[in-house]
Amino acid sequence: MALGGTIRGKKTTLRLPIEADLDAYNRWVADMRVRRAHRVWHEPAMPATWKERFNEIAKDKQNVLWSIEAEGRLVGFALGHLWTMGNGFDVNHLVIDPDEWRKGYGFDAALALHRYVFDYLDLRLVTFELRADNAAALKIVTKLGHTEFAHGHEVDYRDGAYVDEIKLRMDKETWQERWSAEREYPPLAADATR
Amino acid sequence: MIGPKLVGKNDVALVPMTLEHFKLHGPWMLQPEVGRFWGPRFGDVSPESAEKRYKEFADSKTSFNWSIAYKDEPVGFTGIFDIDWVRRDGESGIFIGRHDLYGRGIASEAIRLRTDFAWRELRLHRVHNWIAHANRGSRRANEKAGYTQMGLFRRSFFRSGEWYDEWLGEAYPHTFPDQH
Repeated sequence: MALGGTIRGKKTTLRLPIEADLDAYNRWVADMRVRRAHRVWHEPAMPATWKERFNEIAKDKQNVLWSIEAEGRLVGFALGHLWTMGNGFDVNHLVIDPDEWRKGYGFDAALALHRYVFDYLDLRLVTFELRADNAAALKIVTKLGHTEFAHGHEVDYRDGAYVDEIKLRMDKETWQERWSAEREYPPLAADATR
Repeated sequence: MIGPKLVGKNDVALVPMTLEHFKLHGPWMLQPEVGRFWGPRFGDVSPESAEKRYKEFADSKTSFNWSIAYKDEPVGFTGIFDIDWVRRDGESGIFIGRHDLYGRGIASEAIRLRTDFAWRELRLHRVHNWIAHANRGSRRANEKAGYTQMGLFRRSFFRSGEWYDEWLGEAYPHTFPDQH
């Protein structure tokens, strides 16, 4: 029900996740580089537990999971939450394999996902929650056009200390101002509806 | 989890939520007076659904749920949800279903009891919430218990020809008024 379909970026493709991806998911959430940067979707677990989690998300009506590929390799996953009233989308996780960081995959996948949300689903806004010291992620979402709407103090705990959390949003108007050239499909031909 | 009984001032108490109390939730939330600042005013309000949701609340290891009693009658609900026991943070919420009792300070006392419990019994580090900015009564009730603004989510929902913003609050043990 809520496994995402193909969304093509320039460097990455968000695609339907499959059970064979779960071993990599498990490896990433067990990687302290990932855990320092983000909250994890789930804790590391046995393959059978991951399969149960996968079956649950597949049936979930509000949460959507994608795997992210680049150059034919699995390099990450994204998980978003569609608002109950259906007009907004929270990106809860956008994880890139730490061995693939600094190749532009995160920005490319995020841009493709925003294009899908605004240009295909026609939603009103997208939100992110990021740790205040995650400079790379903040740079990506700021470049996309997100602005801060809340600053939580001492929200997350890791590495022996609390860290603040920044909540950001991007509205459809911003998308249209900044990224109007980004479209899921080319314009309809003049005679398409004749 | 179901929260323990906490007796407050002015005939207000937080009491363990029962299924009989929880069955009032559906009819209350469908009232326009109650739904002004939240909710779509529709939903599955069948007794079977109430029983299922009640069981989920009771079985949850990451929430505490109470009924709010005023003069020994259930008048609403409150709780702390999605508690992360590592971060020691949770999201709080309150719902007064009896709109004929608005303005009597019931929510203020319920929030004070709940917040005190979060610090003194659960040893939480932080609680946070979202409140319709125009719901001054709820906002003030939370501020009295030590919540401060951490953000404003503009144009959160559109109702009766106007955009409604939401106020984001957070509270810590050191922001709780010293009443002991």
